[in-house]
Amino acid sequence: MSALQKNTDRFQSPCGSKAIGNGQTAVTRRRFIGGQCAILGAAALGNLATGSIFAAAGRGQRADNSENPFAYRVDRFEQTNPKLIGYVEARRFKSPCSEPRRMAIGGDQRIYLAGEKRICVIRPDGSVATEIGLTAPPQCVAVANEVLYVGFKDHIEVYAANGTRKAAWEALEGDPYITGLAVAGNELFAADSGNRVVIRYQLDGKIAGRIGARDREAGVIGFVLPSPNLDVETRGDGVIHVNNPGRHRVECYSVAGDLLKWWGKPSAGIEGFCGCCNPIGLALLPDGRFVTCEKGLPRVKVYNANGEFDCVVAGPESFRENARAGAGSTSDPARIGLDAAVDSKGNVYVLDRVTGNIHVMVPKTRSGTAR
Amino acid sequence: MADQEKTSAPVTRRDFLRQGSRVAALTGLGGFAGLLVSKLKSETLVWQIDPAKCLRCGRCATECVLKPSAVKCVHAFALCGYCELCTGYFVPEPNELNTAAENQLCPVSAIKRRWIEDPYYEYTIDETLCIGCGKCVEGCHRFGNGSLFLQVRHNLCLNCNECSIARACPGDAFRRVPVSQPYLLKTSYSHG
Repeated sequence: MSALQKNTDRFQSPCGSKAIGNGQTAVTRRRFIGGQCAILGAAALGNLATGSIFAAAGRGQRADNSENPFAYRVDRFEQTNPKLIGYVEARRFKSPCSEPRRMAIGGDQRIYLAGEKRICVIRPDGSVATEIGLTAPPQCVAVANEVLYVGFKDHIEVYAANGTRKAAWEALEGDPYITGLAVAGNELFAADSGNRVVIRYQLDGKIAGRIGARDREAGVIGFVLPSPNLDVETRGDGVIHVNNPGRHRVECYSVAGDLLKWWGKPSAGIEGFCGCCNPIGLALLPDGRFVTCEKGLPRVKVYNANGEFDCVVAGPESFRENARAGAGSTSDPARIGLDAAVDSKGNVYVLDRVTGNIHVMVPKTRSGTAR
Repeated sequence: MADQEKTSAPVTRRDFLRQGSRVAALTGLGGFAGLLVSKLKSETLVWQIDPAKCLRCGRCATECVLKPSAVKCVHAFALCGYCELCTGYFVPEPNELNTAAENQLCPVSAIKRRWIEDPYYEYTIDETLCIGCGKCVEGCHRFGNGSLFLQVRHNLCLNCNECSIARACPGDAFRRVPVSQPYLLKTSYSHG
């Protein structure tokens, strides 16, 4: 072996190649594959680094929306003046059913929650007492004398407290969408958002009249409902309270259908009803005051018997996720916003339809917190 | 012994490169043919905004290579409530519900308000003025039914290979759609 060949072997051996004569060298398969892997690895690393640089340059800032020169600003309305808040949150619990719509409080102080395909009966401490399975999603519920009236999209069903179905009333004609119920005495009132009217029922299911229907000849505009959020409440005193969201007011009718009075005004400020169409929910306090629910700026407020602003139950800061959701984010606007119910002590139960939380709000005066 | 030499005969670098080139050329040819077939089969794609993902961030107005942007506000009339107080048209706390400039939300007054019957109004977009900022879209989305939304107008869009808005979009709302279905429109909402 020549000195040159010896030197070549010594030199090439660590590289994994061999001299095969005529100045040519052979690469072993193992060494070649190793080299290729190294090249691929380096290329991948380079690609990753380039991607990171691009991310830092452009996409890294994508989540930051604070520099939007066209931002829609309602920040000043999203914070409630603490002096105006008249309630404190005593407790909060999660709705046992998904897609909760509306709720009612019975004489037994239990919460009757309509959602999913069932009615959940919840004790005041948040534990589930019982559940009533249904064949279709309920939109609303009312309770009287241990009888449940469940509003479906186009009809009403009657259930006993043990969950036995007692009756299914005839479906409404037209384009029905029942979104609110109120029962008093021998009558039940159903707010039909689809047909934009309140149906007055006898408790055997017969229709006794219609309230608030549009009458062009008489110049009655009727209910203006950009989204299906008509609600109805009554104390059983012969006066029916109905929200008219598109006109930003609450209207009071006689059971015969005569408009007795109305109150409310459009305003993003705390004393009015914000956005295009509010309030979306009503509840009545035992002392004659009203509780209203709004969407967009999700807030719950109390108005006195004359319709003058009294105090805030909970402001938008209590429903951050609800505020972010917005009506345009869902194919069903009835799944956003809030609903409220009141117990015999004047506590306000607020249902956040987006998070599914039920907030139990107690008056500050009773909770010992100075207003 | 001879067999052993035969099996362990090293491959020369030249032979290896020659064979490698052949394999690479064949692979490349196959890939090119596949690409050609897929191109022939597939439709041309264009950029469009998915309204369900849009965050109304304002970047459609600022990032487009065109000024004003090829993104415009469009209106799904079937979804609209024809509100007297349209939150896509009016600032959050208007002095009055009229067409005075100080009451309008749109920075370029691109939305036209027309009385239909008490208390309903129709709102239409003047696309020659619209800059695609999405301010009205946010107002409608937040309080109303979300009938106003943004779309890329294909009579204006240059269909850049790498859309500058798509790169900056925080909601990943930009995507390629077939040219035969160039718009992602909102229709009516269900009643539950």
